[in-house]
Amino acid sequence: MSLKLKDSGSMITIRWIPRYDGMERFLHWAHTAAFFPLVITGMVLFIPFLAPLAQGEAGQLIRLIHRIAAVFFIAVPILYALFRPRRLLNTLRDLRFSRYDIEWVKAAVPYYLLGKHRDMPPQGRFNTGEKLNVIVLVTGTIVFSITGLVMWFGKGIVPPELFRAMVIIHDLAMIATVNMFIIHFYLAVAHPLMWQSLVSMRFGMISESYAREHHSAWYYGEERARKLYEERKKAAASEAGGHGG
Amino acid sequence: MNKKAMLYDSTRCTACRGCQVACKQWNDREGIQYSKTRNTGSYQNPPALSPQTWTFISFQEHQNNGNFEWLFLKRGCFHCHNAACVEVCPTRALKHDPVTDIVTFEPELCNGCGYCSQFCPFHIPKLESNVVTGEGKSSKCNFCQDRTSNGGLPACVQTCTAGALSYGDWDDMVALGQARVEAAKARFPNANLYGASILGGLGQLYVLAEAPSVYGLPENPTYEVARIWQEIVQPVAGISFGVGLLGVAIAWIIARRNIRMEEVE
Repeated sequence: MSLKLKDSGSMITIRWIPRYDGMERFLHWAHTAAFFPLVITGMVLFIPFLAPLAQGEAGQLIRLIHRIAAVFFIAVPILYALFRPRRLLNTLRDLRFSRYDIEWVKAAVPYYLLGKHRDMPPQGRFNTGEKLNVIVLVTGTIVFSITGLVMWFGKGIVPPELFRAMVIIHDLAMIATVNMFIIHFYLAVAHPLMWQSLVSMRFGMISESYAREHHSAWYYGEERARKLYEERKKAAASEAGGHGG
Repeated sequence: MNKKAMLYDSTRCTACRGCQVACKQWNDREGIQYSKTRNTGSYQNPPALSPQTWTFISFQEHQNNGNFEWLFLKRGCFHCHNAACVEVCPTRALKHDPVTDIVTFEPELCNGCGYCSQFCPFHIPKLESNVVTGEGKSSKCNFCQDRTSNGGLPACVQTCTAGALSYGDWDDMVALGQARVEAAKARFPNANLYGASILGGLGQLYVLAEAPSVYGLPENPTYEVARIWQEIVQPVAGISFGVGLLGVAIAWIIARRNIRMEEVE
């Protein structure tokens, strides 16, 4: 994609690289659409001033909405797994951690808070933060589904001790996923540097320059990305050493 | 507060089941149709608590020095002073009567979630609901709140012919129960008063002929999981969402101040 800057002759050219396919984007947005009503209806148990909504007819309606949304929340990932089993496996394989993840966390704090571009350690299709987000939300979805189904269909059938454990675990999953969602929403939608993330989830593309900086192991391949990174690090160290001397 | 209690003396009960009938009549509970009644090899009928059966007499077959005997027990809500159901109920349909301390139930507020039925250490509240939609109501004995708040006796107490049921101030009922235990000791050496020191003092006290375990009653019931859920997990969740939002807002302000988009590649 090229565009001409106003009042100037220069052109900006952005090369776009496909990152998410259509099914992935469908999974993301359909799951988001199911997650919202689930969280909102669940909040009547957590936020005291919403408590009256849990009472009587309103409470029954809220429980019904929670269940309808839960059907989609469970069905959408299953559909995705059925239609894209190999891509799902590849994605799960991309979630493995490497020694560069700790370095990424160190570089991420000044980058996301202060906008300081330090050399980003090589990252695959998902960086450390994205990996954490996916791990928490995928685990959370599985935990929500199992505990929720037991509470839905097992009430009075399973031992009460098991039901009680399910209630507690469902709530712990809620704490983990909602807080992760708050961070995810901030970084993906509100953060000034991250405007490309919404674009990529909408159109499936990210720019070449972004891929090169943030997902170099994916862009260059693991070996080359590592070599480039180590070279840059060495150069930066000798430069800093030169200044010191 | 004028804490009330019901005392059931199992050593006086004749299992006439007048209390069952009086309860159904006063509280408009349906009986089991003849066609649905089955012989289960016991005189116990109805077989268990249900949304339509708030109290019934259980018949337990027991041997005492080689002699057969029945142990009777009037089953129903214990009206705990520290009540798990009140703790977990998200609608305040279950709460303590401010005057009598009885655990009352308002069906209009109930949303049918059934947490009470799952967290009660005695498994008393019974839920009647649609499995798919979850629409329904819980229900349980309320000591005939409509009668007692107008100076009357609960229907079961009113009708009891054997003098096995009494209702009055909690302290008086405990004293009466202790006296009854002493009187019963000659025939039932294991007789004991159940409920005076359980969960802050039960509203339903029992004079038992045998140890509580013989009746399947817990010696020292607790509801730790309900308390962990209500007093730790739920507040921590609410606080964590606030902290999360605040943290993100602060990060956003810092980022806005420090990141100049024109310098960004």
